[in-house]
Amino acid sequence: MNRILSCFVGMLLLVAGTVLPAMAGPATSTLSTSVDQIINLLSSPEYKNASTRPAMRGKLIATIDGIFDMKELSRRALGQEWNKFSPDQQTRFVKAFGTLLQNTYLDKIESYTDEKVQYLKEQDLGDGKSEVVTKVIGKGKEIPIAYRLIDRGGWKVYDVVIEGVSLVQNYRTQFGQILMNETPEVLITKISGKKS
Amino acid sequence: MTSTTPRRIALFTLLFIFLAVSGGQAAEKMAKPFIPPAARPVTAPTTATAAPALPSAPSATSPSAAQVDDYAAAGPTDAPAVPVPDPFYGWNKFWFTFNDVFYSVLMRPLANGYAFVMPQMIRTGLANAYQNFVFPIRFVNSLFQLDVTKASREFGRFMINTTLGVGGLMDVAKADPNLQPGNEDFGQTLGHYGMSEGCYIVWPLLGPSTVRDSIGLAGDALANPLTWIFGPWTYGDYNPWYWSYIIKGGDLFNRLPVTIEEYDGLVKPAIEPYSAVKDAFIQYRRNAVAH
Repeated sequence: MNRILSCFVGMLLLVAGTVLPAMAGPATSTLSTSVDQIINLLSSPEYKNASTRPAMRGKLIATIDGIFDMKELSRRALGQEWNKFSPDQQTRFVKAFGTLLQNTYLDKIESYTDEKVQYLKEQDLGDGKSEVVTKVIGKGKEIPIAYRLIDRGGWKVYDVVIEGVSLVQNYRTQFGQILMNETPEVLITKISGKKS
Repeated sequence: MTSTTPRRIALFTLLFIFLAVSGGQAAEKMAKPFIPPAARPVTAPTTATAAPALPSAPSATSPSAAQVDDYAAAGPTDAPAVPVPDPFYGWNKFWFTFNDVFYSVLMRPLANGYAFVMPQMIRTGLANAYQNFVFPIRFVNSLFQLDVTKASREFGRFMINTTLGVGGLMDVAKADPNLQPGNEDFGQTLGHYGMSEGCYIVWPLLGPSTVRDSIGLAGDALANPLTWIFGPWTYGDYNPWYWSYIIKGGDLFNRLPVTIEEYDGLVKPAIEPYSAVKDAFIQYRRNAVAH
């Protein structure tokens, strides 16, 4: 619990420079490209300018959507309960869950300044999956964050692990607890109604 | 007072052992076991829901169904985690809510005021000093786990931080990639040797724990130098026994701004905070035992 769970944001920090290992694996390269894009967006003068900010924020969200596989993440967050959702409920769940994560972490992403991201290693998990271990260093704090990516025609993040705590598994436990007593509709309503 | 304290320690030890034994039995009798969704036996969908739910093309659904089911299969990252039973749910939920109100509502303004008054550097320094001081906990438990590398790393950190780091105030050893901060305690040692977590317990003010980790806390108290300096076996009033609690409490308060921030990061985006905290704690401890 020493590490701030919310700092899975680390992937999207303003950074002076990212440090890649000598031979970066494919997942690491894809991840670092996106991180660089986001950093450039956040440090560009248009972002600080209040008038162009909404447009830039849209670009930021689009870039984040590009590296995060929200459908995969949401599906894993439901586990086998996913099959109990109708396709319409599945779509609405993915949207609601995505909005929840966005609302939770976007402010923190935008508020970070000069942290550095080190890509420490890439570990193949088999089945087209890979784990990239990074370390975010800034303001006297060092936070190890691991991203799990899956390759389905391009590497995308499906889980973020901080100090051994997987975001997907944490939500899976919560949703499972709720779905023991409530219907999927109630869950979707709870997620949509959550104001961070 | 001092003559009854060893008896109190024995009583607490008996209490923990009782909890460990009864928790295991109670888990089967009383618990409404929480089975994570992936581990639950899959019930066939009723025909009423199946028809509208399943898209018309079976070939389109079977690969996606296979992909979803692949985390019931092998793979350490996808397999459902073994749940920790929660037979004391009533007690746990009560104290969880109590702790939530205590720290998040009552202590938050104090922590914010403390963070405002005390510069970051001093707070970090005090936290470093305490961590350096309790190095025997990490050192002894690394040895118990026969991890000589880790033990020597802790020893090296202690030596460097105490001397160059002025009594542990500065963590100068961090500059060396081989001397990064470690984390070992008695609960992890017990887990290393195969003791199961037992059941989930939430202690008042101390927060989430398990039976194994509660025994671990007791063991850590024995390795903590404060216990020996300010022990119950004090000669006269020279080293009164309560100072160890004051110092531990002081360290807790010093780290409170950080702790509350981490707690917010976990609980604010949570749909079900109790499960979120329980799951995060269990995942964190399992990862710590494994590393």
